[in-house]
Amino acid sequence: MKNLLNKTTRPFLAFVLVVLLISVPVYYFVIEKIWVVELDEHNQLAAQHTAEEFNKQNLSGLDLAEKITFWNQIQPGIFIRKLAPGEKVEHRIFTADRSFDFVPRQSSDNFRVLIAPIQLNGEPYYFRSITSFEDSRETVLAIAAITFFFFIIILAGILLINRALSKSIWQPFKNTLAKLKAFQLNKQATISFEQTDITEFNELHAALRSLIDSNIAAYQTQKEFTENASHELQTPLAIIKNKLDILFQQGDLSEKQYQLAEEMNMALLRSTRINRNLVLLAKIDNQQYQQADQINLGDLLQQSINALEEHFDQKQLRLQKTETAPITLTGNSILIELLLNNLLLNAIRHSPAGGRVSFSLTHQQLTVSNTGEAALKEELLFKRFSRLSPNGAGSGLGLYIISEIAKFHHWESGYHFNQGEHHFFVRF
Amino acid sequence: MKVLIIEDEAELAKSMAEYLSAEGYICEQAHGFNAAIEKIGVYDYDCILLDIMLPDGSGLQLLDELRQQNKQDGVIIISAKDALDDKIKGLKMGADDYLAKPFHLSELTARIFSVIRRKQFSNANTISLQELQIDLLAKSVRVNDTVVPLTKKEFDLLIYFIGNRNRVISKSTLAEHLSGDFADMLDNHDFVYAHVKNLKKKLHEAGCGHYLKTLYGSGYKWTDPA
Repeated sequence: MKNLLNKTTRPFLAFVLVVLLISVPVYYFVIEKIWVVELDEHNQLAAQHTAEEFNKQNLSGLDLAEKITFWNQIQPGIFIRKLAPGEKVEHRIFTADRSFDFVPRQSSDNFRVLIAPIQLNGEPYYFRSITSFEDSRETVLAIAAITFFFFIIILAGILLINRALSKSIWQPFKNTLAKLKAFQLNKQATISFEQTDITEFNELHAALRSLIDSNIAAYQTQKEFTENASHELQTPLAIIKNKLDILFQQGDLSEKQYQLAEEMNMALLRSTRINRNLVLLAKIDNQQYQQADQINLGDLLQQSINALEEHFDQKQLRLQKTETAPITLTGNSILIELLLNNLLLNAIRHSPAGGRVSFSLTHQQLTVSNTGEAALKEELLFKRFSRLSPNGAGSGLGLYIISEIAKFHHWESGYHFNQGEHHFFVRF
Repeated sequence: MKVLIIEDEAELAKSMAEYLSAEGYICEQAHGFNAAIEKIGVYDYDCILLDIMLPDGSGLQLLDELRQQNKQDGVIIISAKDALDDKIKGLKMGADDYLAKPFHLSELTARIFSVIRRKQFSNANTISLQELQIDLLAKSVRVNDTVVPLTKKEFDLLIYFIGNRNRVISKSTLAEHLSGDFADMLDNHDFVYAHVKNLKKKLHEAGCGHYLKTLYGSGYKWTDPA
């Protein structure tokens, strides 16, 4: 994963690199061109000056021949000789390398050559000037080195500027991101984004604001619906319940009819519970519970165990409780009691008869373990209405309520299977 | 014994009245706040069943009214709002008990029975029924002066049965009464059978007649001797 600035920087840098690479041969050709022009001019001037200076000396023919020989010796780049009668010299400019006989053997350079006729004392002479110019390989290397140096400077500059930009320009974006991460739909609080002078960010903020607002509205509607539906259901449930109670009192009820009514009664009990749980969840969601009670968890757990003792006995479950240290929590006592009861009932219901249920309470967590056969799917376990056990009783909300109560207190709830035991834990 | 049922849901009020009338209570109904105010102003009741959410006013306001008139009527709040703060508020304002909808009529009857007993016999609250003497305050039971050592749950069950004499109470209703909210989360309701069996056995051993009968295999009924 790359961050956005690095991502945009890369093509820029690639482009700069390509341009700089192309510039190397271009520089080379341009520099060589200039060189050649300069050297040709130099050679031309050398020819002119040489001729002028010799003519100025007013030397006799013999003297001139002597001086020219001497001149040729001390000036390796220039060669002058008298033309044989009838010999013609054409004015020529060209580049010569070692294959030319006049080029010094030990040299690896190229030479710019001027061959021209000059007039000394009114007679035609052959004039040749050679000037070495830098080896092209060396030129290219030098240019490449300089280019590379500049590339490094550009690279460093862009990285530094990027870092500075990401701190300033991207700051509003980072703030927005942090707010979005902290956003919780069920808290119902809208987010206020800061005003920036960057159009894109302002557009983003406007879009996010409308998205969040519509989400909150949709969530609100859904929640109200659940709440209202649960409340509205209470009255018909109460009526059915009462009518069943009256039905039980009819003296001429047959045993079959009684059993039917009793089965209805039990199904009604379950729907009542589902309904109550939905109301409870809506209330937790609405933050209608205070978290100001000081709770001694060990005591509360013992209370719940005592209340359910007969149900442990009935299934012949062996109980084991380990409490390392007294633990006091701040939270809502009703919800925590509910959480404990749900954990215990879950263990009672899903243990085989004669199994073992153990409680372990430490400073960090409460674990309720019970005998089991195979691991359960954790991701389904804490979901609403996802019953994993074949027996149909239960509201399908027990574990979900546990996780919601834990969430409400900012605790973590979870499950793991280990050595033939299901472990449900709440970490404080 | 007069009971006033303040409940806007006519069908519910009707059921309550029907069940309680069979129990020997004289029931009157008020389906709204104003009707209730009128009745309260004119008559005294042994127990008032009060729905908090009324279409034309709050039940809590009625409770306030009762207190201002210095009435001694027992009050049981009946609420669809399964809210604890309502419960606490109601009890603080002078209600005697609180029952969340939906509830069993046998549960309601048992509560009315207790409230009326508490109101009327605040000092020596003893129920005498055939050879049984039940001290509600000390929670002790005697049969012809023999103390019957009942557990808390057995005592609770006995009061429930006596409050619902001659009524059929099903096992699941008792399970709900005994285990509160989570009866449905238990795989079976055999624990009810165990408690009832123990209660019967202890009463019989102390010399009490077989008033508590099992019906239809899993229902129970406390029958007065004819």
